[in-house]
Parts: sequence; structure tokens; C-alpha cells
Amino acid sequence: MPSSYVVLSVSLAYLVASLVIGMWPGRKASGTAEGYVAGDRSLGLVLMYFITGATIFSAFAFLGGPGWAYSRGAAAFYILGYGALGFVPFYFLGPRAARVGRAYGFVTQAEMVAERFRMPAIAGVMAVVSVIAFVPYLALQMKGAGYVLSAVTRGGIPEWAGAALVYGVVLAYVLRSGVLGVGWTNTFQGIFMMALAWGLGLYLPHRLYGGVGEMFRRIAVERPELLKAPGLAYDGSPWNWGDYSTAVIVSIIGFSFWPHLFMKAFTSRDERTLRRTVVLYPTFQIFLVPLFLIGFCGVLFASAPDKPDQILPHMLMNMEIPALLVGLFCAGALAASMSSGDAMAHAASSIAIRDGVVRALGATPDPHRQRTLIRWTVVAVMVASYVVAVIYQGSLVFLLLSAYGAVVQFAPGVTACLFSRRATGEGVLTGLLVGSAVTVLFVAYPELKPWPVHAGIYGLVPNLVTLILVSAFRRSGDPEKDEAFLSVASG
Amino acid sequence: MSVLSPRNLLFALYVVVCAFALTWPGYDLLGNRLEPFVFGLPFTLAWNVGWVLATFMVLLLYHSTRPRV
Repeated sequence: MPSSYVVLSVSLAYLVASLVIGMWPGRKASGTAEGYVAGDRSLGLVLMYFITGATIFSAFAFLGGPGWAYSRGAAAFYILGYGALGFVPFYFLGPRAARVGRAYGFVTQAEMVAERFRMPAIAGVMAVVSVIAFVPYLALQMKGAGYVLSAVTRGGIPEWAGAALVYGVVLAYVLRSGVLGVGWTNTFQGIFMMALAWGLGLYLPHRLYGGVGEMFRRIAVERPELLKAPGLAYDGSPWNWGDYSTAVIVSIIGFSFWPHLFMKAFTSRDERTLRRTVVLYPTFQIFLVPLFLIGFCGVLFASAPDKPDQILPHMLMNMEIPALLVGLFCAGALAASMSSGDAMAHAASSIAIRDGVVRALGATPDPHRQRTLIRWTVVAVMVASYVVAVIYQGSLVFLLLSAYGAVVQFAPGVTACLFSRRATGEGVLTGLLVGSAVTVLFVAYPELKPWPVHAGIYGLVPNLVTLILVSAFRRSGDPEKDEAFLSVASG
Repeated sequence: MSVLSPRNLLFALYVVVCAFALTWPGYDLLGNRLEPFVFGLPFTLAWNVGWVLATFMVLLLYHSTRPRV
């Protein structure tokens, strides 16, 4: 069993490094909301690549990815499958959003949609959905961080203390440096995670089975059902192709509209940088492969963890391996948790203030005051998520799936905002509400679904139909403004 | 610059083929088997990795051939 002191020292050293890197850029951004939220629209390719890539590789990917491969086998491949095309819509949406963002001063997705349709209520609804989506997500990241620190110290650090320690660091650099702090730490954390995932992903199969090929040969003999798509469902029964395929499709459609991801269109220095970020994005996806390898290592491991997500720490703690390596793994898992958590805390607060308070409620604080408000909201969001992480005993996954289902419903409205002359605010808003309601219904009561199809698809269809129908009956109040907006968008 | 330029149509065709290959029935018919192993990975996993890499190449090509205004 590895020494707790070495493990802990490595993790703490890592936290200090993240803190230093995250605090440094704070002095360079302007003291306005635009500086804090969008980095004064100055980010280059390296920061954009890691900010979009590392943001997605959360504690979910680092612990959940191996957990899925371990317990559900080929079902996990769907993450890789949607990742291939998931960012492609952004190649077309991103530059348009960036152009109108620059011209009109937008820093969030919802304020763009609300301005185009001159309907603040849209921003309000999107803000509420986004914040509801982010709090459980952030709580999951905190739980992940707390869990890892607790596991590698064999309970020496309780989960609540571990989560508080790690997210104290995140709070410090997000407060001070805004999106630039998030960007620089994500670059550091992204490189660290990749190195570590590949290191462990190749080392563990070699150590336990004598190589990656040998490991899969043994699994193919002893647990062949795991290697046959679409893999297994949560309860271990075979999963079905309907759910697998529509999970891929709905993720490809909805992925780009995650608010913390979409708003990065407003941070990029220019269109070329934005497009290159999308082009390079699939290279980040390859990083899932070693995480799957780690999970498959657990399939024939001598003992089993309590929960599938614990497979990686479980194996590390039950093998004779150097404490330094366990410490590095711990730091890597913290990196994954922090690099998503920081972006979410930052996005949720920016959205709550810019879309909720300024846009929907019509308050008009000056840019410096806005930045102050956003910072206070960062504290509030972090505290709320921490309370959820430590106290709430219900299913976070349910909250998360509902929220993600609702976020997918942004897709038709945001696309219409940037491309369609005919869409109207009434159409977008009713579509969004109808789509979200249907999705949440089927997430809550999956047994009502007529076919095994992802809940998000059930929402998207009525969403789109409503958008088109309502828009057809309600003409836009001001076609000239729409025309001006779209001509800015197309450049 | 037309939306329906050959470049855009080819790209759209790729997206459709890729989505077909990664879901039912394309994935089940063409990619869902163990053999041959590719760099130690069973074919079904290598299939997904291959499409991620292919998308990267296609995006690179699509991006580098964009019309300059």
C-alpha cells in the first residue's frame, strides 16, 4: 500500500502549482465584465484548444469513463462516437456568434438570442436552465475531487474536507483571474491529464496482463459481451441500439450549445482561431482511449470496487505500485475535476448576472459593477454546489440528465438566431419551453417512452415544430433589425 | 460563395456517412466485431477511434480549402 504522505505531497504540490498559474493572468485583463467573462476577446489557439478540451474532460471522464468501460463495456464507446462530430456544428455557429458578439458586445449565448429577437424573457429562461444545469454538474466535480483525496489517503482526508480544499483553490483563481485564470490553468491541467491518462492507460494493461492486446484477448474469452456494441445498460442487461444511437445523435446536436462551451466563441481572438480550435478538437477526444483501457483493466481484476466509478483508485490502492505514481494519478483526477469545475462556476455566474439580472430583469449596472456582481455570484454558485455535493442525497445524475436534456433544447433557437430570417422570438421561446418540458418528462418517466430513443430527441422534435409553426403565424416586429443582425453574422 | 458548393456538399456527405457509421445500422454492420485487432485494440474500439481521426483529417482539409474573401 502506497504511503499517504507521498501521495498527499504530490497532490498538494499540484494544487499549489494550479493556484500560482491561475492567479498570474488576473492583472492583465481589463476590469470590466467583458474582461472577466470573455478575456477582452483576446484568446489565441493554445488557450482556446485547452479551454474547450479540458473543460469537457471532467471528473466524469476521468472516473466515469473508466467506470463505464469497466461496468458497461462497449456502451462507453458512444462518448468517443459523438465526440467525432460533436464540435462540428460549432465550426459554422462559432464564427457567426463571434461576429455579432464583437459588434453588439455579447459575452453569453442567451443575451445574443434575446437581443436578436428583442425578447428578454428568452435570456431569463436560458439563464435559469443553465444555472440549474451547472449546479449539479459542479457538485459532481466536487464529489469527484473529495472522493479521490479520501480514497488515496484511505479516509485520512474526509470527502467534505477534500472537496473544500480543492475548490478553495478553484474559487481563488476564478475570482481573481476570470476566464484567463480558467484558460491558463486548463492548459496546464490539460497537458497533465493527457500525460497521466496515457501513462496509466498503457502501464496498467502492461503490468496486469502483459499488454493491451493480451488484455482484450482475455476479456474476449471471459467476458465477450462487454466488447460487443452497444454494450450493457446500467443494470448489466444488454443495452439497445436505439438508446445508443440516439444518445450519439443527440449529443452531436446538443454538445456545442452547452453554455460554458458556446460562450467561448466570444473569447477567441479571431475567427481563424475559433475554426482551428474546432478542427483540432477531435485530437483531444483520442484521450478517451487510455481512459477506456484503464476501465477494461478492471474487468478481470482480482477484486471489485463498491461503485464502478471507483475502479481506477481501487486498482491503484490494491496494487504494489510506487506512491509517486498514485500521487500523480490523484493530481490528474483533481486536474480533471478542476478544469471542468472552474469553467462551470465561471459560466454559471456570468450567465446569472448577464442574462438573468441585466438582460431579463433589465438592471443596468456599469461594467465594473457587473464584474463585481459576477464575482460575488461565483462565490454563491460554488457554495450552493458545495452544499449540494455534501448534503444532497438524491440522484445527481437525474438532475444532470434533466438539465442536459433541456440544454440540448437550446439548439434550434440558437441556430435560428444566427441563420434564420423567419424565426421569431415567440417561436423560439415556446419551442424551448415545449421541448424542455417533454424532455424532462421522459427523463423522469422513461417507462412512458414509446420507443427506446433518447429523451432529448423526444424534446427536439416538438421544439422544432413549435418554433416553425409559431414563427409562421407571428411575423417579426422589426425585419430591418433582423436583417442588420444577420448581415453582421454572415460577415 | 454558394452554400451548395461542391466543397460544402462533400463535407455534408462526410458528416452523414460518419454519423451512419457510428450508429445503428452502420456501426453494427461494419464496425461491430473483434477481429482484426488494430494496435492491440479490438476492431470495434478501433472503428470509433478511426472515425475520430478521419473527422480530424476531413476538418483539416475542409478548413484549409475554405474560400478566402
